[in-house]
Amino acid sequence: MNETFANAKVIHTLPWNSDVVFAVAFIGNDKVAAANRRGDILIWNLPATGDQSPDPVRRLVGHTRAINCLLLSPDGKTLISAGNDRTVKFWDAALTTGEPGQVVLNDGFVRKNQGGTMGLKKISDPPPPVTANVVVQKPLRELTAHKDWIWGLALSRDGKTLVTGDDSSEVIVWDTQTGAEQHRWKTKLWVRALDISPDGKTVVTAENFPQLKFSEKDAGVRGWDIQSGELKFDVSEELKFEMAAVRFSSDGKHLAICQGNIDRGENEGKVFLLDPSTGKKLRELTPPHHNGATDLAFHPDGQHLFTSGRDRVVKIWRLSDGKHVRNLGEEDKGQSESLCAISITPDGKLLAAADGKGQVVVYELDPSSQKQPSTT
Amino acid sequence: MDTQLQQSGTCDSGQHLSRRNLLKGTVLTAGGMAVANWGALFHSQTIAAEAKRTGKRCIMLYMEGGASQIDTFDMKPGRPTAGEFRPVQTNVPGIQVCEFLPNMARHADKLGIIRSMQTKTPDHGPGGYYMHTGYHPSERFPHPEAGAMIAKYCENPESDLPSFVKIGSGSGIYGAGYLGPQYDPFVVADDGKLPGFANPSVAPEIQGRRAELLSFMEQRFAEQRPGDPFASHRTAELRTIRLMQARQAFDVSAEWEKAKDRYGDSKFGRGCFTALKLVEAGVSFVEVGQGNHDTHMSNFPISKSLYSTMDPAWGSLLDDLTQRGLLQDTLVVWTSEFGRTPAINVRAGRDHFGRAWTVVLAGGGIKGGQHYGSTDRDGFEVAENPVSEADYLATIYKAMGVDHRAKHYLGTRPIWATEEGSKPIEELLG
Repeated sequence: MNETFANAKVIHTLPWNSDVVFAVAFIGNDKVAAANRRGDILIWNLPATGDQSPDPVRRLVGHTRAINCLLLSPDGKTLISAGNDRTVKFWDAALTTGEPGQVVLNDGFVRKNQGGTMGLKKISDPPPPVTANVVVQKPLRELTAHKDWIWGLALSRDGKTLVTGDDSSEVIVWDTQTGAEQHRWKTKLWVRALDISPDGKTVVTAENFPQLKFSEKDAGVRGWDIQSGELKFDVSEELKFEMAAVRFSSDGKHLAICQGNIDRGENEGKVFLLDPSTGKKLRELTPPHHNGATDLAFHPDGQHLFTSGRDRVVKIWRLSDGKHVRNLGEEDKGQSESLCAISITPDGKLLAAADGKGQVVVYELDPSSQKQPSTT
Repeated sequence: MDTQLQQSGTCDSGQHLSRRNLLKGTVLTAGGMAVANWGALFHSQTIAAEAKRTGKRCIMLYMEGGASQIDTFDMKPGRPTAGEFRPVQTNVPGIQVCEFLPNMARHADKLGIIRSMQTKTPDHGPGGYYMHTGYHPSERFPHPEAGAMIAKYCENPESDLPSFVKIGSGSGIYGAGYLGPQYDPFVVADDGKLPGFANPSVAPEIQGRRAELLSFMEQRFAEQRPGDPFASHRTAELRTIRLMQARQAFDVSAEWEKAKDRYGDSKFGRGCFTALKLVEAGVSFVEVGQGNHDTHMSNFPISKSLYSTMDPAWGSLLDDLTQRGLLQDTLVVWTSEFGRTPAINVRAGRDHFGRAWTVVLAGGGIKGGQHYGSTDRDGFEVAENPVSEADYLATIYKAMGVDHRAKHYLGTRPIWATEEGSKPIEELLG
């Protein structure tokens, strides 16, 4: 049995039941930021030792609607968020000062299973409030050129170029430093996710037009020249799935993509490794997530891919041969809130999952226990 | 209700129109029985002349699967049930609609929004039957759907066209019931295109000579062998021939090229445009279905895409009816089998809900720019003026000039267009 990440365990469960926690990003190796569908962002300082779960210390206020994307700049200084209020907001990732404030951590409501909502006569009253004292911070600046919900957000590896994409099929390339729009182009369908190749030359978009009954023409995966916006490749015929996330590995050797934008049921959470330069499918990783995959992240060791899903597990995959290493968490094939997004610390020791149940779950991956992956 | 839903989140076959029923409708069409409800045979008129001569018409936009009221016309901003969409102001102060219905926002002065539908079943099959007929299917009585009733009372008897057309069959084919097969719906594809049998294989003059010869021979045959089966068969033949003669009304290809940018290049958009052309040509009732509203999972992205298709088509339909002077005599109904739950489930979906939901009327006979009824602050219950299925249909019938309590007979048994106690909503009627 492969012992890679065998000792991984949950070290913090950070409760935040205000709404579905949808995005997550580490700030360095000891802070984690998460965003929810209400438009709030909270930041927690993670203690170096012990298993206590800390309260949040910072609240980033500015978004007015659901936040879909959250990422940290490569220099670790800026947090960037985007969502349904059609804005991209920049936040000082290191700032610790601000207006004192308070956040209620349990003012959401308990969601019923599918069908269980039909007999409901009222939303239950929230429990007595659980509060935390926080520092309230505002964005450094914002970009407002998008006219529709923003689902695609990626930074170049040098941090100088930002690319965003939205539901009106608009992709915009920005100068991160000045906030100036460099150029834009139209994709064929709504942008659900995108990433920039490590060489900074290609933008890959995962596109879809969400429908109850999936039609192959309603999904696409395309590569674009970042300078001209010209189409470099279109593998939509080969990858006829509604993708939820797409990501290049830092070394540029891998391009991963996962299916699951729409909750469709069993085996609809496929994960693929693609040729980074052509988008051609190289390998399908099995078994798929149940009910759809939601996010993916490459481990800094350069050898592993992590994916999250509606089945509430994080799957760990070995890049060398595509083998499924193990799951983190208990697989749930019934009805439950999703794990919506994941993030891994730069040192590779922690993984955080944005949990739709209204919490952030932090795993210690314990890389020190890793053995070299088997080549057999 | 959990047990009636598949794990995948789409409803099971028992909740939807059964395949057998669907095929029945299709087969009937192919066999001619549903090629129904024409007026007289040999009174070909120009489309424009017929449109002027005939009376009221109705276009029903049917949202298959159950459209959400909270995400469209009865929004609850700031409440836990609000979901991810936001309201925008319309051209009527005090009326707000979903941000993804910008065309409806500019047409709000034409809309009578009933926000207090309180219906009896949250299941697709029975709900669809109820909202089409005004009666519960458990009565096992062949009630006609609204299109058949309106076809009976509003058809132009001189038209070569069917008086009741369904564009797409996803909303269910409930039939003419006790009104008889002559009022059954004529069903075309969901983009409005005719079935293949409507295209003649020979030139019109040859077709005409063949029809005359057939008619001569069959008349002689029928004189010696009277009976319903023969008459029915002959009627089907004649209807098919007439459909071939009138099929140009369904061919919107040339005009669609110019219209599709406004309506949206979708099946529903083309269906709405075809409906416009059909009512303009004198068809009394056209139903256009838009599928996929059954959003038990991923409600918000799916609904957003649905509205992006629905809104321009519906808005352009109202534009064109207005521009052509047809809106005052054309009732446009936006409806469904039920609404969707205020509460959002664990799969980010909304489930079936009949206790408090919304339908919208516009155009002929309707005083626009108003709400009727209301729901409580989270949308779980009707707060005022509950409207039943029968009240809703009574309102449609009255707007169309049809007596909602018209009495019919099945044998000696009397039966009424809408059930006892049903009331049209007078506040909405102009």
